[in-house]
Amino acid sequence: MATNDQDARAQLIDLAAEFYDQFAGGQIPEMTLPTRTKSNIEYDPESGVWTYGDRTSTRSANSVRGARKLLKAVYTIEFLADQLEEGRSSTLRELYYLSESWDNDEAQFTSQDESNDLVEDLEIVSGVTREDFHMRPEESGATLMGPLRLREQTRRGEREIHCQEDVGEGGYQIPNNPDMIEFLDHDIDFVLCVETGGMRDRLVENGFDDDYNCLVVHLKGQPARATRRITRRLNDELDLPVVVFTDGDPWSYRIFGSVAYGSIKSAHLSEYLATPDARFIGIRPADIVEYDLPSDPLSDSDVNALESELEDPRFQTDYWEEQIELQLDIGKKSEQQALASRGLDFVTDTYLPERLDEMGVR
Amino acid sequence: MTSIQSTLGEEEGIAEELAAGQREISIAEFFEKNKHMLGFDSGARGLVTAVKEAVDNALDATEEAGVLPDIYVEITEVGDYYRLVIEDNGPGITKEQLPKVFGKLLYGSRFHTREQSRGQQGIGISAAVLYSQLTSGQPARITSRPKGQSRAQYFELIIDTDTNEPEIKADEETSWDRPHGTRIELEMEANMRARSQLHDYIKHTAVVNPHARIELREPGLDEPLKFERATDQLPAETSEIRPHPHGVELGTLIKMLEATDSYSISGFLQGEFTRVGKKTADSVLANFRDRHFGRELAWRPPAAHEDADVAAAVADAVSNKGAAATETFASRVAETVGNHDRLTHAELTGIVETIAEEVAADTGKTFGNTVRENAIAAAWTELTAYGDAEDAPDDETRDLITDDLHAVIEDATSTRKDDGTVRAVAEALARRLANHGDERFRFTRSDLDREIADAANFVVDQRDVSFGETARENVADALWSLMETVPDDPPNVNAVAENRDAAAELLEAMRETDILSPPTDCLAPITEDLVEAGLRKEFDADFYAAATRDAEVHGGDPFIVEAGIAYGGEIPADGGVEVMRFANRVPLVYQRGACATTDVIKSIGWRNYGLDQPGGSGLPSGPAVIMVHVASTNVPFTSESKDALANIPEIEDEIELAIREAARELKSFLNKRRSMQKRREKQDVLGRILPEMADKVAEVTGRERPDIDGALARIMNNVSVEREFDGDDEIAVTLRVENHSDTNEDLEITEIVSAEPTDPTGGTVVDMDGEWFLQWKPTVAAGEEATLTYTVADDADFDVSVDGVEAEKLTVNA
Repeated sequence: MATNDQDARAQLIDLAAEFYDQFAGGQIPEMTLPTRTKSNIEYDPESGVWTYGDRTSTRSANSVRGARKLLKAVYTIEFLADQLEEGRSSTLRELYYLSESWDNDEAQFTSQDESNDLVEDLEIVSGVTREDFHMRPEESGATLMGPLRLREQTRRGEREIHCQEDVGEGGYQIPNNPDMIEFLDHDIDFVLCVETGGMRDRLVENGFDDDYNCLVVHLKGQPARATRRITRRLNDELDLPVVVFTDGDPWSYRIFGSVAYGSIKSAHLSEYLATPDARFIGIRPADIVEYDLPSDPLSDSDVNALESELEDPRFQTDYWEEQIELQLDIGKKSEQQALASRGLDFVTDTYLPERLDEMGVR
Repeated sequence: MTSIQSTLGEEEGIAEELAAGQREISIAEFFEKNKHMLGFDSGARGLVTAVKEAVDNALDATEEAGVLPDIYVEITEVGDYYRLVIEDNGPGITKEQLPKVFGKLLYGSRFHTREQSRGQQGIGISAAVLYSQLTSGQPARITSRPKGQSRAQYFELIIDTDTNEPEIKADEETSWDRPHGTRIELEMEANMRARSQLHDYIKHTAVVNPHARIELREPGLDEPLKFERATDQLPAETSEIRPHPHGVELGTLIKMLEATDSYSISGFLQGEFTRVGKKTADSVLANFRDRHFGRELAWRPPAAHEDADVAAAVADAVSNKGAAATETFASRVAETVGNHDRLTHAELTGIVETIAEEVAADTGKTFGNTVRENAIAAAWTELTAYGDAEDAPDDETRDLITDDLHAVIEDATSTRKDDGTVRAVAEALARRLANHGDERFRFTRSDLDREIADAANFVVDQRDVSFGETARENVADALWSLMETVPDDPPNVNAVAENRDAAAELLEAMRETDILSPPTDCLAPITEDLVEAGLRKEFDADFYAAATRDAEVHGGDPFIVEAGIAYGGEIPADGGVEVMRFANRVPLVYQRGACATTDVIKSIGWRNYGLDQPGGSGLPSGPAVIMVHVASTNVPFTSESKDALANIPEIEDEIELAIREAARELKSFLNKRRSMQKRREKQDVLGRILPEMADKVAEVTGRERPDIDGALARIMNNVSVEREFDGDDEIAVTLRVENHSDTNEDLEITEIVSAEPTDPTGGTVVDMDGEWFLQWKPTVAAGEEATLTYTVADDADFDVSVDGVEAEKLTVNA
């Protein structure tokens, strides 16, 4: 067992020991966690990311609900400890199904959200990341494309890969644990994170990565942890500027938010996942006006989402307040591909270069 | 109801009167026409009614004799007819009483009295006899054995339907195994379709008469239905009361006035009514005078600056009495008048009369009636002269009353009233009062109200201002309080009896006077304890509650409402709750929907009390029985068949309060049960989960399984009792009592030890045949613990039991 794994296992056993001591001391077993809501995330000026504040909530065996949660926690701890001992790994979904085989009906998960949340709880209290528990998410399929050479530790040995030359059209697929990757060499000027597959394919087809020495990261909607982690490392270790290119609607701003500021659910890992230097390139509401893009009216849920973002501490900057208010004002949203209304090359020949110049990235 | 009854009660033999008025209609026809009213409208119902009347009679008879009732009811099929036999262990009945009790329709010993009893109208049992005779042609067979007689007497009785007179057909000695009692046998056309009502009636009767033993046999029963006695306590004996002044109506009052031997109204009131003594009679009379004569308005004597001189006026009015006597008389009248703040004509008259006597005694001059009257008139003018009066001399236009009225009205109205308006009202009112036609200013309250309204309307019209109802009423109240009841003698009884208006005034006066509620010893409530005992006896439930209200009065008849609730257990849970209604201990089994009791139950929000109530109103559902008993000297029924209580607001209010009182107990029982159930569920689940969690934790950490009792007790807010030992040869035993709940717990902990314990901390030790009972009664505060220790030989056995705390809250590990 790797030292790393031993540490992780020790942390888990410590958690169980804590429950043990509570029982033995005649105390009611409990587990204290930071409250995981929008109102309990705070900006940490030192790291420049958003992490949990001081408010905590307690899972206590005092209630039937709390007792069930703790029972599940103990069973999960046992499972993870065994997994680490055996040097195996599993997916979150496998954990959910695996609980069905446990001898205790009360310990079985009722939904995958429940098991996912519990694993996150354990990350928080043990200070060990999910990856170090050997828990994988389902394949997210996010990819990289650009002038980067890296070395990946795979189960079948080390592989050296160039993310343009050694990969197909689809690009290099980001592994579940990007910390297994070593960056060897690159010719990148900036990292461009793209929300949609269609736009990513357009950029690759138009040779944008080649022409502009750009690493195109496909976010695939709300980015998986691995995608965010590798973005963070590119920024951190290679000192590359990061820009995020999404649709022009409230849901896409949240994608940017989780890349740049950290997500609310995984705020305990913000320091590890968020890229505070990342900047938003578009589509901005201002672009909808400026480029006269085809648009859809905002739905009620869009308006609610925008208003809720105005109250989200992560978006309380002059830039976002101006953009969100403008969008509420014009009442419109546009997709990335709306740029095609000006021709297929418009995005690579005009829009992105103009925006990159404006932002001083290029 | 009251009026009909009391009116009827004044006369004997209403049936004869009815029969006399309708010669061509026989009593049989009369019965035929009215049998629905009497509860004999069908064969099914007739049987139930006959049982009911006979059982009611039997209960009354036994109770009156101070005997615990033992009643036997038997129904058998006899050819096309049914035979009904009812036996009691009452005092029996003599031949002389017999026709009166069973024979004559509408003979009733209770018809005149105000006393709680089951039968109220004397229709019941004789109607049953008549019904049986009319349908089967058979006589009523009655066996009676008065107490102490060795033989019983057997009678056959038939009612002559032409004369409504009973005839005794057979009269012979017989033997009967009961030592005393009465047996009635009736044959009638009937059927058993109303079997469930019959059973209800008998069962409900048993509930509400826990002192009675009742047995029912009928063809549909394999085993007789037996209802055993739950108490040996007879209902309290009731006493008869006279009517209460608040409870009579005009017709009744006039009849009572005509019938009384009293001469004066005061004597009449004291003699004929309950709760009326001299003082109350005086209050009623004062109120009566105010209505009959009106009150006199009192006026201020003239002040120095006013244009009036009592002394001079009186002196002028007296002639031929000599200067000195006149002067003395006039000045003393003036002085006495001046000493009064206000005075009425009657008071002035009194003053003049008194002073006339005194001066006559001092001076030897006689002041005769004429002189006195002149003097009174002259003095009164100096108090109340009003120039606009029609008969006032033109040269003498004085107004002594407007200012006085103005001051009163100003005080009585709000300060926001414009002074001009107040003045105008005072002027208008002064004019009207002065011209009202009685120089003594006598007005009844309604006269006064009318004059004030008239004056106010006039001013409102003239000046276009407002002078509303409240202001008018305030003025009227202020003036009425300045008015005095007149000393005139009230008319005597005969005068009032002949004068309908005067009688109405007397009735109003009676109603207005505060009079003590009627005494309640005429009522015999079942009492809370016995209501509960009755329910307990007939329903196997988890919970019982009962409430007896204090006596209240409706229409001069006192009444008491009692309610009881039984819940859970064997009571069927599907459908609506069972409602049992009782009036004077008689179950009401028909017309549930028309009964005030049902209306009240439906109007209560039962969800508040933990019962289901579909739609949030109407009859609640669930495993419950709700019973309501109304005891009164005159229970108001909706009809003569006495099936449903009339909707009388006072009675409905009391029914509601009684039910709510019992329902509150039900609620706290159900709440407690629910919280205990929750606690049990929680205990069940946690009791399963936590040991599993402890096992898992032990497995993961590779340690021994931890002791989780402390944690469990804490979680369950429990009281935990744990035993600890110390020492080898002689062991020190410690019982650690931890209270994890949020209330103080008073515990009773008993330890049974097989060897003699020594040095116990506190507590008592009792040796019982080689077993030692160690008992402590600690009070452990919330969150605290207590330690109980003793020392004992090491081979001793222990057994601890803990009382004073619910089992659900207790964790014993000892």
